[in-house]
Amino acid sequence: MKQMLQKHKQYLLTGVSFAIPFIACGGILIAAAIAFAPMGPGGPDFSNSPKLKLILDIGSISFKLLLPVLAGYISYAIASRPGLVAGFVGGYICGEINAGFLGALVAGLLAGHVVNLIKKVKVPKIVVPVMPIIIIPVFSSLIVGSLMLLVIGKPIADLMEFLGSWLETMSKGNAILLALILGGMIAFDMGGPINKAAFFFGAAMIKQGNYTVMGCTAAAICIPPLGLGLATLINRKLWSEQEREAGIASLGMGMMGITEGAIPFAASDPIRIIPCIMAGSMVGAVIAMLSKVGDHAPHGGPIVLPVIDNRIMFIAAIIVGSIVTAVLANILKKRSLPKGEVI
Amino acid sequence: MKFVAVTACPTGIAHTYMAAENIEKTAKELGYQIKVETQGAMGIENELTADDIANADVVIFAVDIMVEQADRFEGKPKIEVPVQEALKNPKGIFSKTPK
Repeated sequence: MKQMLQKHKQYLLTGVSFAIPFIACGGILIAAAIAFAPMGPGGPDFSNSPKLKLILDIGSISFKLLLPVLAGYISYAIASRPGLVAGFVGGYICGEINAGFLGALVAGLLAGHVVNLIKKVKVPKIVVPVMPIIIIPVFSSLIVGSLMLLVIGKPIADLMEFLGSWLETMSKGNAILLALILGGMIAFDMGGPINKAAFFFGAAMIKQGNYTVMGCTAAAICIPPLGLGLATLINRKLWSEQEREAGIASLGMGMMGITEGAIPFAASDPIRIIPCIMAGSMVGAVIAMLSKVGDHAPHGGPIVLPVIDNRIMFIAAIIVGSIVTAVLANILKKRSLPKGEVI
Repeated sequence: MKFVAVTACPTGIAHTYMAAENIEKTAKELGYQIKVETQGAMGIENELTADDIANADVVIFAVDIMVEQADRFEGKPKIEVPVQEALKNPKGIFSKTPK
């Protein structure tokens, strides 16, 4: 059982590893386009700048490919090459029906296992050569596509929508509570489904002309990798040589707004590390929310600074949040070591 | 003893290479021959050839994600561990060698 869970974690991480460049490329291009576009009353105005519009469109396409690529490569990890088609189709459907990141994870797992089942079917020898290029893609896509469209997709989309509207009522009532929740969600799984639910909610709010939700999300996004990287710099004795090196890489990822940078770093000690990064992100998100930091692009971290409203407080939120994470991580780390031991 | 190893982590920019370095270093200390292939964000680097694999006694996978082209290693005795293991306790990996 434990081994099976371990395997599935590996499948999901494989999908994520292929999807990360798409998130980075899309987010950065979109942010760049918005940064240079003149601000109209309803957000950035692209009507007079076809070149920026082009960059925006290219970025948006990279972003849209995220879901098919994620599902496709989860399926690929499970069923190898024949798994790709059903995974891509399932992931694309998730984009169409708004089942989002969570939907794509489910679609990918489903596709991989369906393909593996079809592989087991005994077929006449004459059919064997066309199995991987015709039979498996056709039938697995039909099965995964119908399940996603008719059965599983709707409840997942509903769940995502419920989460969105719950956060929305939150944003009307208590902004600080919303910031706490979003910050915690962003850090909790470092780029996983919970992180992405918060992220997509922030991105959706941009479309509705509310930039502060994305503003506090953008600050929270970069705090886990920045804070952990900072922790290794503050007290180098507490961390092994490898962890110190990972810390530098983590800082780089943080600057780019890639929360995933904290994954390998935190994976060794989730019980101590995850609370530290959640605390940092929550603090950062609250500071950003209170000082009305706005973000016009669906991306986070210092790299989106050009499209931020109230830049000074954005940076302050990131710095304070990162320090909180770093200090907490070092305190807990110190306690975990036997007395007097230095790595 | 001859080993071949593959390292791969989810982001593929830091741990993959640190793990590879560590495994190589440890193997040398223990007096084993080794070649390590990295499967990072750049794809497969320092690729293991069919000869490398055929000549190896044991295959080590230090991976958090799927190994690409895993069919190359079919039928070989394998040690599979998370990437973290190669960073924390590389000697422990070699002690798992099937006798």
